[in-house]
Amino acid sequence: MKNLLTVQSLKKYFPLYGGLLSKVIGQVKAVDNVSFDIHEGEILGLVGESGCGKTTLGRMSLRLMQPTSGNVYFEKADIFKLNRREMASLRPKMQIIFQDPYSSLNPRFTVEQIIGEALSVHFKINGKELREKVESLMEKVGLSSMYLNRYPHEFSGGQRQRIGIARALALGPRYIVCDEPVSALDVSIQAQIINLLQTLQQEENLSMLFISHDLNVVKHLSQRTAVMYLGKIVELAHTEQINKNSAHPYTQALLASKPSLDPTSRKRPQPLSGDVPSPLNPPSGCHFHPRCPQVMKRCKNEIPRTIQLEEGHQVHCHLYDE
Amino acid sequence: MPPLLEIEDLSTFFHTEENIVKSVRHVDLTIQKGETLALVGESGCGKSVTALSAMRLIPTPPGKFESGRILFEGLDLLQASEVEMQNIRGNKISMIFQEPMTSLNPIFTVGDQIMEAIRLHQNKTEYQARELALNVLHQVAIPSPESRINQYPHELSGGMKQRVMIAMAIVCQPALLIADEPTTALDVTIQSQILDLLDQLRKETQMSILLITHNLGIVAQYADRVAVMYSGKVVELAPVEELFSSPAHPYTRGLLNSLPKDGAKLETIPGSVPHPAYLPEGCSFYPRCSEKLDRCMKEIPPLESIHGKSSQQTACWLYETTPTS
Repeated sequence: MKNLLTVQSLKKYFPLYGGLLSKVIGQVKAVDNVSFDIHEGEILGLVGESGCGKTTLGRMSLRLMQPTSGNVYFEKADIFKLNRREMASLRPKMQIIFQDPYSSLNPRFTVEQIIGEALSVHFKINGKELREKVESLMEKVGLSSMYLNRYPHEFSGGQRQRIGIARALALGPRYIVCDEPVSALDVSIQAQIINLLQTLQQEENLSMLFISHDLNVVKHLSQRTAVMYLGKIVELAHTEQINKNSAHPYTQALLASKPSLDPTSRKRPQPLSGDVPSPLNPPSGCHFHPRCPQVMKRCKNEIPRTIQLEEGHQVHCHLYDE
Repeated sequence: MPPLLEIEDLSTFFHTEENIVKSVRHVDLTIQKGETLALVGESGCGKSVTALSAMRLIPTPPGKFESGRILFEGLDLLQASEVEMQNIRGNKISMIFQEPMTSLNPIFTVGDQIMEAIRLHQNKTEYQARELALNVLHQVAIPSPESRINQYPHELSGGMKQRVMIAMAIVCQPALLIADEPTTALDVTIQSQILDLLDQLRKETQMSILLITHNLGIVAQYADRVAVMYSGKVVELAPVEELFSSPAHPYTRGLLNSLPKDGAKLETIPGSVPHPAYLPEGCSFYPRCSEKLDRCMKEIPPLESIHGKSSQQTACWLYETTPTS
């Protein structure tokens, strides 16, 4: 399959200021040497706990944030080397859907302005043509075009997320970063939005980076899943492999702590002890070692390398490094 | 044995300038000693208002208890005096909240906040209170309690803060613990730690837990009985196994079907929850219901036993056996 997006050794270190003269006293390694690619028409799920760098990674893949080092190739173009004009012509192909449908829509814009803004900026569409385009986008995401002149506060959370989706689709993108698009929604609304994203993805053959902390949602939607812990991708595999034969102890722990929907089986394996360490001061060697049930001597000192277990299944763990 | 807490016909409305928000409408619930009752529903369905009513923490006005009684150890909490309520809150009934980040006072140490509850409700010396606080921190599995007791909330992680909240809530050995979305703000691996802790404390101390959540996985794993709420009413009440094996109300079925399963398209409930100030006449779920009958539009269905069992109850005309009058 052809790769649409390739991420190579991407790093983002945020400097940490302190002391009397606000000097740099340290750094937060939000994303630390991450590589992966996204095929055309594929949904790649990205799972991890809060603060593990999922959102930073997603934003860098769109050049909404400059990395400390590393490259992102979109359709073979190195996006961090493009000049302003070249980047502007690439922007319509890459879009984002945000988590919070309440704060990501401008409250002073009507739905027409929100969805149509990018169209008039990038494609210079105006007037009646713009209106027709916006109406067809609204119908596509399941909103009545009657609501064209309403403001965001007049809509429910699920409807607002539909507006956000229509806005992301407006320019006909090839790649969309979905940053926790359903976490703020109620269960019954979640299912509506998940179905909508799935239908649209199939219809338009979109590629997506689907960021979430909900393993069930990622399992449902994505073809491959990447698991992140403290700035690093610890395991990347086909979603089926992740759910059936996960290799990394952290992935296994994540899956085990997901509450099962069957009230008759309440055998719970021992959950992970301890807290997620602060990214300010991550543990040495493998970042997961203080919480790992299978920790070995070398985990404390050596950073694990990428191990290929089988076709398309990679893991960062000393357990598999003979 | 009489139930520990008995909520009868509770209605809590909020009178705002424009309208009346009917948050809780004629709710009946009982909680037995030592059981975990889960209260499930979507945001705005009245779960939290029901719990806050039981603690009498609803600001009045704008809130108003329109009807009902809440019986706890023979006392009607809705009629109790403020002094009586202060003796109950944090002592016999205590509560933990969703956001451990904002529910702790940032300018007091962990120890101060736990000892406050002891000083208010028990006749203990400063030294005894401190010993008790250390004990309870140990009980909620906080590592090295001797140093943690002098720390401020900002020095603790989210999971640790929630443990401190639990320590504050159980230090006076309450008969009932109300946990309002206790793990929603926490990470998945921390979530199971906290819920396992609550479950273990319940078994050790025989306290009852009213667990408010929107996560059906948590319900399946930790609840004994489940009450499903929809726009201010309990629409289904059943033991947890029965709720998951044979859900009765169309809303419960819709909720269970809308959870992600392998591959296949998710079933959805069309539309969204009605605004609690503009409720439809009749059953409030009928605009979204795929099995609605004519009478659903006009008459509100009562919560009644179905399948000839007394354990499972639902409020739906589909299960009405007596002919329409």
